[in-house]
Order: sequence, then structure tokens, then C-alpha cells
Amino acid sequence: MEYNSKTYKNYETFKPQLESIGRYGYFFITAMVMIIAWGTYALYTQLSKGQVVTGMRDYVIWGIYDANFIFFIGISYAGALISGILHLLRVEWRHPILRMAETITVISTLIGPSYIFLSMGRLERVWHLFVYGRIQSPIVWDVIAISTYLIGSFIFLYLACVRDLAFMRDHPIGIGRWRNRIYKFMSANYRDTPKQRELLNQLIDLISIVIIPLAILVHSVLAWIFGMTLRPGWHSTIFAPYFVLAAVYSGTGVLILVMFVFRKIYHLEAVITKNHFNYLGILLMILGALYGYFTFSEYLTNWYGSVKWDMEVLYRLFDASTYWWWFFFSAFIGVLLPIGLIAMPRLRNINTIVFAALIAVTALWVKRYLIIIPTLETPLLPLHDLRPEFASYSPSWVEWSLTAMGIAIWLLLFFLFSKFLPIVPVVRVPVSEERDYFKLRKLARERILRRLISKTRKEKNVVVGIVILMILSSSLVCRAQDPVKSRLKLEFLNKSGTRMLTTKLTSKKDDQTIPLQGMQVSFFIQGEKDKVLLGKESTDEAGKATFTLPGKLDVPRNKEGKYSYSATYEGSKEFQPSESSTEIRDVFMKITFSQKDSSKLINLFAVEINQKGDSIPIEGSTVIFYVPRTFSSLKIGEQAVKSGHADLDFPVTLPGDSAGNLPVVAKFEDNDNYGSAEVSATMAWGKPLPPDVIIKRGLGDTNAPLWMVYTLIVLLSLVWFHFTYAIITIFRIRWLGNKALKEEQAQIGSK
Amino acid sequence: MKDNNSSRRKFLKLGLAAGATALIGGGGKVLSAVSNPGQASGETGEKVKLLSPDGTLVEVDKGHCHACPATGKEARQGIPNKKMVMVIDLARCRNARKCLEGCQSMHHLPPKIEWIKFFLLRDSKDTSPYWFPKPCFQCNNPPCVKVCPVGATFKRTDGIVLIDNDRCIGCKFCMAACPYSSRVFNWGSPDQEPLPADKKYSPETSWPQKVGTVGKCDFCPDMVRQGKLPSCVTSCPNGVYFYGDKNEDTVTNGTETVRFSEIVQQRAAYRYMEELGTEPGVYYLPPVNRLFDYKVGFQDLKPEEIQLYKKEANLSE
Repeated sequence: MEYNSKTYKNYETFKPQLESIGRYGYFFITAMVMIIAWGTYALYTQLSKGQVVTGMRDYVIWGIYDANFIFFIGISYAGALISGILHLLRVEWRHPILRMAETITVISTLIGPSYIFLSMGRLERVWHLFVYGRIQSPIVWDVIAISTYLIGSFIFLYLACVRDLAFMRDHPIGIGRWRNRIYKFMSANYRDTPKQRELLNQLIDLISIVIIPLAILVHSVLAWIFGMTLRPGWHSTIFAPYFVLAAVYSGTGVLILVMFVFRKIYHLEAVITKNHFNYLGILLMILGALYGYFTFSEYLTNWYGSVKWDMEVLYRLFDASTYWWWFFFSAFIGVLLPIGLIAMPRLRNINTIVFAALIAVTALWVKRYLIIIPTLETPLLPLHDLRPEFASYSPSWVEWSLTAMGIAIWLLLFFLFSKFLPIVPVVRVPVSEERDYFKLRKLARERILRRLISKTRKEKNVVVGIVILMILSSSLVCRAQDPVKSRLKLEFLNKSGTRMLTTKLTSKKDDQTIPLQGMQVSFFIQGEKDKVLLGKESTDEAGKATFTLPGKLDVPRNKEGKYSYSATYEGSKEFQPSESSTEIRDVFMKITFSQKDSSKLINLFAVEINQKGDSIPIEGSTVIFYVPRTFSSLKIGEQAVKSGHADLDFPVTLPGDSAGNLPVVAKFEDNDNYGSAEVSATMAWGKPLPPDVIIKRGLGDTNAPLWMVYTLIVLLSLVWFHFTYAIITIFRIRWLGNKALKEEQAQIGSK
Repeated sequence: MKDNNSSRRKFLKLGLAAGATALIGGGGKVLSAVSNPGQASGETGEKVKLLSPDGTLVEVDKGHCHACPATGKEARQGIPNKKMVMVIDLARCRNARKCLEGCQSMHHLPPKIEWIKFFLLRDSKDTSPYWFPKPCFQCNNPPCVKVCPVGATFKRTDGIVLIDNDRCIGCKFCMAACPYSSRVFNWGSPDQEPLPADKKYSPETSWPQKVGTVGKCDFCPDMVRQGKLPSCVTSCPNGVYFYGDKNEDTVTNGTETVRFSEIVQQRAAYRYMEELGTEPGVYYLPPVNRLFDYKVGFQDLKPEEIQLYKKEANLSE
């Protein structure tokens, strides 16, 4: 395989960078490792203590972790969109910056999602997403989209590296055998045979096409996490395109910064020229203008419509005591300054463009912060929380440390990658093989601009609230241990013929009635001479004890036709004894139902039993009708009983069970003569209850709507078809290379 | 242990729901025991009355009562033929906050975890402020359930939205989605009384809360199964909360029992922020003919709290 002289010249520039790390390099690595170690400690703190160590609380549930997440996914656009589009448009100057852009994509897509994990309360349950995942949730869309995007951008980066890997394989460097082995393994036997070259070019074009819609989708889905909620400032239809634009804007900015840094440290002035900065600067300017347009449109619409909650978020953004200076920086400086610096040819030079990019990137990080926090600090219901950390957010040291850690890992990975492969492609594809569609006009002029320093810092009012947890009451002081009075209340209940005695045993403590549990209560009935013991029951946690009377009582009724019941509590060391009694006349009740014309009636028949045991129709007592319900009884009416009869309209409008069965109860309540006596009966005259409707598919159900399932399947199969094709083709290239090598060897052998 | 579990499972399969109303004989006959739960060990001999799904009262051994809150799949389905609703009478609320205390003691929550929140709302500058207690609204179109990536929060047939703390991954998306700020997060350890060893976690009791997961008012389905009212309802001194089954068209605050359709129609009930389309399961009765002046609600508050409330409600004095 042959390489032209330009390739060798390129390689000479990078060889020293690949072979040694250098003093500054070691210093840099040490610094980054120290930051990462510190971040690991912060991570350990968070994992062991929970998210209580962050500044996030119930209202501001997401913080800078999520801002970082959007930020990193945003800058990943550098590779996907910029390099994808530049490649497809065959822009001539793209070659030196392609690899940087693609590396930004891969590394950022690795770092970004880890912030989502940090923002999760239960990191160890991540696998639940795969076991229980619901595709109705935008978070699941995100998981699918970002993982696909990561694989796609990795393939994209790899394809663009194959030629260089092959070159490195053919020109082993001095240090490290393992590196040469990796080069050999990863170069996929690429020998630049015509067939291999054709396949590789085709693959790069294909993946560039696939990666662009994928990238757009990734950031749209990210925006929809916010857009799908009903929150002011988030629930916006332009959120997806707005996020996409913001992402390209910041991605371009980061690319310019990366170019600048590598140009400086690796002395790449000959490769990365002023023109590269100019071209990307102009792109940055255009994107800035578009981004500004979206920002203006979003806030103008909110302000003009002046819905209460939208306005509350706007007040926060425009109030100097809250977010105005941050907002000013991100929406005004961050847009107007880059545009102004780049638009004017007199001001435009490498330094100003880099400065503009720096401003744009910082402003966009602030923008992400301003998307998340002010909205969360403005709940729809007023925020009445005395705890200052609940009312407003400020990141804790843990969050800052982990943010620093993410940036450190990003920088370190980038640095290490640039030590592994030349950061600028060494092997160039001859221009003649590609078609050029597009050329940007050359623009150049250098001037120096005064440095602008703009420091904005938000001061927050810290309200200190002291929460008193316990007030010890003086009543806890012990007093003399005299037995306390107890109180027993006996009630009689006749339930459809079953007679019961119920008691409630209570005592008073500090003016509060407390039930006495586990106490023995004895039940008696008055015999001819003495009290006869019926039985003993112990009280439950409500202080109640119930005794069911036998069907037949072997004692005579008194003169009034009544039985005399009593209950006693014998007392203990702590409580004095108490007793209670009641006299009850037995009743017999029966409910029947009758229908006359259109009226449906409940008919009660009630008689009392006299001394001799004869039945006498009840006269005058009030009977109450109920319908029993889950928690209590619904009163449907009351009637005075006349010569043993009482009628009431059946409550036909009340729902019964699925067949319309509705139980009704007629009851004498705490009657002087009868105690509580009741009878119940059921009739199917209620409103039939329709069966539970179980919706199988929907946004809130276990299974997703079918259109969603189909959309997901179609999208994923489209993307994965291309990815699979790419992977298979890589193996084909490998096989073709092997074949070519064997033929070569055979030729040499035959000679 | 295994035996214990399987018998509990069997018992669950009987589909026993709760309902020890029993006061008035209920809709059914009192059975002496359910088809032999007696085979299982751990009986206490005491009997508890429960309401079975078909509406009949059954009596089971108290030793099995830990099975009352449903677990697993059953907890995700809901109590059959029920639709729990709440009606909150704003005319009676004086910000006594006893409901919160009741809720906290019933759910074994420390004072820092508040599932019921209190607002002093004022609709416009010309109108008078009123106290507004807010549990979870158990929406019928719940935004929180839609966005949950793992189905850890779910809507049941009985209208209740629950959280499975064993499944929740703590992404907090449901909290972002809830427009009513009804959900709270366990940022650190919940500092809660631990669950007794013989009890199993159930989403119906929401006990124990777990660090890094979301919690909220759960409408006490375990109490419904026993036919008991939630603690917020019973501990309110003014009878503000009415709770009940919409399928029975009845709500009660423990002392008064009224028809749901009558009270919401006659007293012009409304659901908070109905315009969001969330279809809450909690209805508010407007604060007309109030029992208390709103200022009564300030009496137990700390000065800085009063200041905060006044500021939010635009009260100058």
C-alpha cells in the first residue's frame, strides 16, 4: 500500500505527539486524575447518603446534573451534524477538523447520559428500564435514542479512522507493542484496494446521512422530557427545534474551542488554518442568529399571552434579585456578542472567534440552567415552604465536584485519544474522488479586540429558618399512682334477630378519652332474684367488647316486658372498677318490598314482645332506613312506625352491585325500649353498576398505544438496518484485505 | 416460611378485600371462616371481618391480616368495583393540620415528610383568602403515570394512583409532571419506623418509604380493604374531608354520610385546575358560608410562616 508524500508530511507533524506525552502532558493528566478522584469521593458521598447531599429538593427536583446532561448532549452535535453535513456537502476544508468533531460527539455522548444517572435516586435499579420499560415515557425514548446515537457516532468515528489506523499499522511507532497490535486489529485489513476504498467511501456517506436525523431526534426527545410536562416555560411546542438549534450552536462553539486548543498545543498552524476559524465562525454566527430568533419567539409569545404561570417564570427571569443577570448573559450577551464579533470583518480574527465561541458555549450552559431551575421554582400552586433549600436551588459541593469530574473526564479522554491517533486525519482521500458542491468565500482580516470580562453572579437571599422539632410537655412528669376512673358504656344491639351486648371501656387522661385495651368485661342478665353471669369478653384496641346472646334466654322478662342487662369491669391497679346497665324490650322486625304502579316501596313490619312472649305491633317509635356502604351507612329516610308498619320509597337512584342489588337496613336507634335493633334485606332495584372498564393501551397504561409501538419499531429498524449493514461491510472490507494480502504473497511466492 | 408464603398467596387468591363496617349487618351474611385459612400457621384465634370482592362480609383470623394490603400484581389492579373519591369542604377548614398529623402517624412518617400540604389561596385581589388542604388528587388522567419510565407509579381500577417503591428508579420525572406538586422525594433516609419482620412491603401501605424513591398520599387502599376511613378523614376535627366510593354514590367524613352526587351538585363542587385535563378524583366545595375566618388558621403557625402565607396571598396587613 502506498501513501503520498503529503501523508508522510502530515505524519511527521504528529509522530512526536503520539510517541511521547511530555512534561505538560503528565502534569495535565495528574491534574485531571486528581479532579476525577475528588469527584469519585463526591460520587461516593452521594451514593452512600442519598441525594440529600445535593442542592435539589422537592420543588427543584432537577439541578445542574440535568443542565450538564443537556449541555453535553448538545455539544455532541459538533460531530454528528456539523461533520455529517460538511461531509455530505463535500466541503473541501473539512478534513482537518472532522476527527475532532466526531471525537467530541463520541466522548460527549458518553459523559452526558452519566449525569442522568447521577440525577437518579436509585442508580442500582437502572436495569428496571430494560425489564419494566414503558415506551410511553420520554425517558425511555431518551434511553433508546441516546444509546442508538452513541453506537452510530462511534461507527461514524471509527469509519473515519480506518485509513489512519491502516497507516499506523504499516508504520509502527517506537513505543508500545500493544498499540501496534490495536492498530493492526482495528485497521480491518484495510489495504486501499479499489473495492475496499469504494466500500469505505460508501459507508461513510451512508452513516453521515443516518446520523443527521438521528442526532436531531436525540435532542428533540431530550426537549420532550420537558415539553411533555404541564409546566410553564417547558410546555412549549417549539421546544424540540429550539433545543436542536441550541445544541448545534453550542456544538459549533465547542468545536472552535477544541480546534484552538489543539492548534496551540500541537502546533498545527499549518493544518488548521485561519480559514477554518473563519468558516466555522460564520457558521456560529448564523446559528447564533437563528438561536436568538427562537429565543425571542419563545419569550415574546409567553409574554404576550401573559398566562399567569408563564408570567411568573418570566418575572423570575427578568427580576434582578433572581435570574435577570444570568438571563441577560445567556439570551443577550450569549447571542449578540458572538454575532457582533464575527459579523464585522474588522473585528474578526482567530482570537475573537474563539472568544465568541467561549461566550456562546458558556451562555448555552447558563441557558440550560435557566430552562430547568426557574421553571421548577415556579410550581403551579404557591410554594409555601419555610425550608430555604426547598424554596430555591443552589448546587451543593457534590454537584459542582461531579460537574468538574465530568469535564475532567471529557478533557482527559480527548487528550488520551489525541495520543492514540493523530487528531487530524493523516491519510487524505484524494479530492478527485469526491464531488464538491460547495465552497465558502474566503474572508480574512485580523484585528485584536479588547478582552471583555463579564462576571455575573447571582446572589441569593438565604433565609434561615429554625424548625422546632419537639416540645416537651409538663404532663410527662410523673404523678402519684392512684387508680384512675374508668367508664363503661353498655349498648344493646339486635341485628337481624341476633342479640348482642357491646361495651366500650374508656378512661380519661389529660382531658382525653382513651380506650382501655385487653380488659376483662363480664356480662350479666337480671334473673328472678340475682344477676346471672352470661359470659366474659376482653376489650379490643378500641376498648370495645362484644358478647353475643344465646338464641333463648332462660330468665323471665320483668313487668314491663324487658330484660335487664348489665356489664361490669372489675378494675385493676391503675383503673377503678365501673359498670353499666340497660333494660331492653325485644322486638321482631321484617322488611319486605312491594311495587305499586310506578312506586317501589320498602315495607317494614315491626312488633315488640311483651311479658308473656306475645307480639304486639309497635306504635309511634321512629325507625331510620339506611343503605350500608363501605365506610358507613347512608341514611335514606325515617318514619314513625304506625301499628307495626312503616313504608319508605326505595332509593332507586342509588347504585347497587352489577345486578342492581341494594341492601337496605331499618333500624331503631338507641331506642329507650328496644336499644338498637335492626333488620336488613336486599332487593335488585338499585342502579346496576357497570363493570370496571380496563383500558389496555394508552399513555397511562401498561401497554403503549399501537401507533407508538409501530413508530418505534419502524424507526429503530431503519437505523439498525444501516448500522448492521455498516458492521457487516466492515467485516467485508476486512475479508477483502485478507484476500488481497494473500494474493500479494502468492505473487511474491511465484516470482 | 415457604408454607407461610404459599398459604398467604392462597389467601390472597380468594380475593379478599376489606370492609369491617359490620355496624349494620352490611350487605351480606357473616361467614364464620373463609375456606380454611385455618390450615396456615400463625393463627391468633381472633377474628377480623373483611369485605370480599362480591360484597359479602367474611371473617378471617387476625393472624392473616397482614395479607390485607395486597402485594404484587394484585396491588396494581385495585379493589374491584370501587372508585374512590374525596370531597373537601373548604368552608370548614381552619388549617388545624390534624389531618397531616393523622396521616403521618398512620403511615409511620417522620414530621419532615408531608403528604398533605396546606395553602392559603386567594383567587384574586378582591376576594378573601381561604385555606386549601391538598392531598394527592388521584387524577383519572394522571400526568405522573404517563411519564413513568418503569411503571413504578400506576393507576388502578379503583381510581387510586400508587407508587411501587421497590420498582421506582428515582428519576423524579413524575414529580416534574405533576402540576399539583403532590409528590415528595426521599432525598435521604426517611428515618422511619421499620416494617415489622413478619410484614411484607405493599404499595398499598406505602410503608416503608425508601431512600431515593418518590412518595405521596396514597388514598389508603389498605384501610379501604378493611372498611376503615383514612386517617386524614377521621382526624379532622371539623369534618372537612369526605371520603367514599363513587360507585356507591356515598361519601362520609366519619360522622356525616351523604350522597356524593348530591353534595357535589348542590354545593357547586369543583376540581382544582380542571382545565389541565388531569381529571382529579378530589372535589372541593367552595369556601362559602364559612365556619371560620381565615385568620383563625394563623393561630398555630410560626411568625415566619404567617409572613410567607401572607406574602403568597398578597395580604398586606
